[in-house]
Amino acid sequence: MFSALIYLQYRSITNRLLLRFKRLRQPKYLLGAIVGAIYFYFYFFRYLFGLPGRRSGFALGSSPETLALYEALGAAVFLIAVLLAWLLPHERAALAFSEAEVAFLFPAPISRRGLIHFKLLRSQAAILFTTFILMLVTNRFGGRFWIHAAGWWLILSTLNLHLLGSSFARTLLLERGISNWRRRFLILGFVIIAALVVIIWSRRTLPAFDFSQMTDLKAIQDYLEAVLTSGPLPWLLYPFRLVVRPYLAPDLHSFLLALLPALAITALHYGWVTRSDIAFEEASVEASRKLAQKIAAVRSGNYQAAHTKAKGKRAPFILRSTGSPVVALLWKNLISAGQMFSARLWLLLAVVAVMISSFVAQSSDNSNLVSALGYAAALVIVWSLAIAPHILRQDLRQDLPLADVLKMYPLRGWEVALGELLAPVAILTGVQWVLLLISGVLLWTAPASSNLTRSALFAIGAGAAVVLPMFDLILFQIPNAAVLLFPAWFQVGKERAQGIEVTGQRIIAVFAQLLAFILALIPAAIAFATVFFPLQMVINRAVAVAPALIASALVLGAEAALGILLLGQVFERLDVSSEIPTS
Amino acid sequence: MIEVDSLTKLYGDFVAVDSLSFCVQPGEVMGLVGPNGAGKTTTLRCLAGIIPPTRGSVRICGCDLVRDPIAAKRILAWFTDEPRLFEYLTVEQHLAFTARIYQVADYEAAANLLLEELELSDKKTALPSQLSRGMKQKLVIACGLLHDPKVIYFDEPLTGLDPIGIRRMKDSILKRSRQGAAIIISSHLLHLVQEICSHILILKNGRKINSGTIQEMARQYSDEAGDANLEAVFFRATGEGDK
Repeated sequence: MFSALIYLQYRSITNRLLLRFKRLRQPKYLLGAIVGAIYFYFYFFRYLFGLPGRRSGFALGSSPETLALYEALGAAVFLIAVLLAWLLPHERAALAFSEAEVAFLFPAPISRRGLIHFKLLRSQAAILFTTFILMLVTNRFGGRFWIHAAGWWLILSTLNLHLLGSSFARTLLLERGISNWRRRFLILGFVIIAALVVIIWSRRTLPAFDFSQMTDLKAIQDYLEAVLTSGPLPWLLYPFRLVVRPYLAPDLHSFLLALLPALAITALHYGWVTRSDIAFEEASVEASRKLAQKIAAVRSGNYQAAHTKAKGKRAPFILRSTGSPVVALLWKNLISAGQMFSARLWLLLAVVAVMISSFVAQSSDNSNLVSALGYAAALVIVWSLAIAPHILRQDLRQDLPLADVLKMYPLRGWEVALGELLAPVAILTGVQWVLLLISGVLLWTAPASSNLTRSALFAIGAGAAVVLPMFDLILFQIPNAAVLLFPAWFQVGKERAQGIEVTGQRIIAVFAQLLAFILALIPAAIAFATVFFPLQMVINRAVAVAPALIASALVLGAEAALGILLLGQVFERLDVSSEIPTS
Repeated sequence: MIEVDSLTKLYGDFVAVDSLSFCVQPGEVMGLVGPNGAGKTTTLRCLAGIIPPTRGSVRICGCDLVRDPIAAKRILAWFTDEPRLFEYLTVEQHLAFTARIYQVADYEAAANLLLEELELSDKKTALPSQLSRGMKQKLVIACGLLHDPKVIYFDEPLTGLDPIGIRRMKDSILKRSRQGAAIIISSHLLHLVQEICSHILILKNGRKINSGTIQEMARQYSDEAGDANLEAVFFRATGEGDK
């Protein structure tokens, strides 16, 4: 029977890998694989092969005291993870199975222990993969890769077994009438007693920590070292230190010495888990259903639904049944964005921001600080241009899996494109206007230190307020055009691709989008220069920025309009049956 | 009225639909039947303007679907076998959204009537994830019928419905047909097709095997006993029964 479970796991992995190799026949995946491989090589693998690269770290030249501190810190983190596993969960033991596994394995003549073994076997695949990734990351900082790999495997496997064992134990306690809260009080009581012992010992034995030395890293490290490596704490952390120790071993001899006790702890956990006879099937069926729902929500791009309880969101405004259908798409996508992006919220935020900014400006004697805050708010606007397209996805990227539904509507392509773009543009513009307001208020009150006159400040602010929505319209067109032109390069639909080739595709896509954005800005920059340079000879330079920005906005607006028409044509020509997984 | 002339859909070298021509008059209900992979869903997708045909033309009440898609789409509705909804819109938000898209003035009365008919009145604020599959299907139907379409396509309309839902769906299809809608139903449920369709079209490998009224087809494929029901017609026409 167990051989069938091994076969299932083995086939699942090999078929997945085979599918990935097969798709390399498509140029888009092959190119992505090459770029991804180059990235992984230069970022991780060359350290494995001992090629030149900057490395530093504890394993190459750390003192035994430092290693002991790292060990104690690692053990403390492990202890916290274990305590949380006993404190937080409230549900009964449930092993995470997929719906297919529940359908095939639960009615099959497989013992409970067999199912636990299958679960452990499957979690090993994930643990080995995580071990590999963590080994690549930590190996950049020095040490031997095989020690890191073995160390990570021991830590992750033991933690995994402990989480499973603790879930069984919690269920057992519930069955014996010990409620979740009673269990929590008992554990918290133990934690408080242990903490009191450590605090009392520290106060009696160690010199009090001088909080004026909080900026001195060495002083903090010395104090931590004293607390963690002497007195009662090393004994409290002892089993956890044993698990962490192999990872920190500086050489083969130390590793072998540390390995046996760590393996013994892992083996004890294995015995604990496999000998538990707890009914987990019913809770597992429910858990697998919820897991499937979450996966479906994430794969369809609805990340919020995966983490929150389903609840209808209030509409941002009343949608009348007649008028431009473009507004219907804006309305729909604003609902998708949720209350965080409602007009009322942003109005409220603007008022609060102005009040706080005025208060800060009035109450601070340091005008340099006020103007620095003003410039910082302006910098956040620039930063928002880089980050917003990745956060705000209430556009075609969200709706492309329902492209067949959108294509059914009696709308022209440009109407769909414009309607889909409006929500993220409106949200980002709202954020930027609030930031502009904050920046304006702060700089207005400190004109001397900001090097800007109030009239110049007003001119620049007004110009920026006009140009930013156009900027945003162009900004969001690029990723939307990308998903329409190359849907297979972007994660739309239910099947989210993974692998080195997909990482490579993403790198190519990011660079291509950046290039497209820069190209789109060139005509606007020319328009700005054409208006600004002649005008600054006649009026104040800073004031001349306003008309120059408005000229840029006009050019960007024309570009955006052209882009929307083209985007609409691409959407009309999109063949959903051959490009997009719609169901 | 639906007029299809030489409709062809290619995927590379693969012919999904091959020179398909037929006509569905107002008040007629045509059953589109065929084995798996016959091209039924591809045909419906082409007829709904979701995928462009490679060749041929489709006219919906006189409007060419390729040249004037907006006018054609305003009067048609397509119900897929899998209910396709926006996960973040509630039932009433779906209806408000659809009303604006199709410009249905004063839609509230019609929407309430539909919700009542489909027993969704108490689910107005529910999200699709809070509805059963049958209820989702009903919501799709409510949205699709809100603009009173003259041409309706159903792809496996009974999937996921309970017995009451099935009866209501059949009644609803026949009611729309009596009101003058031209309807196409794609289904593997031959008893459903026989019960509510006036015409059938049999597809196989993207090609039309035969078409006509139910009675004509029964006559054409009846054996000596002359007792051909639609199942017998299907197997004889497609040659599937010989395998």
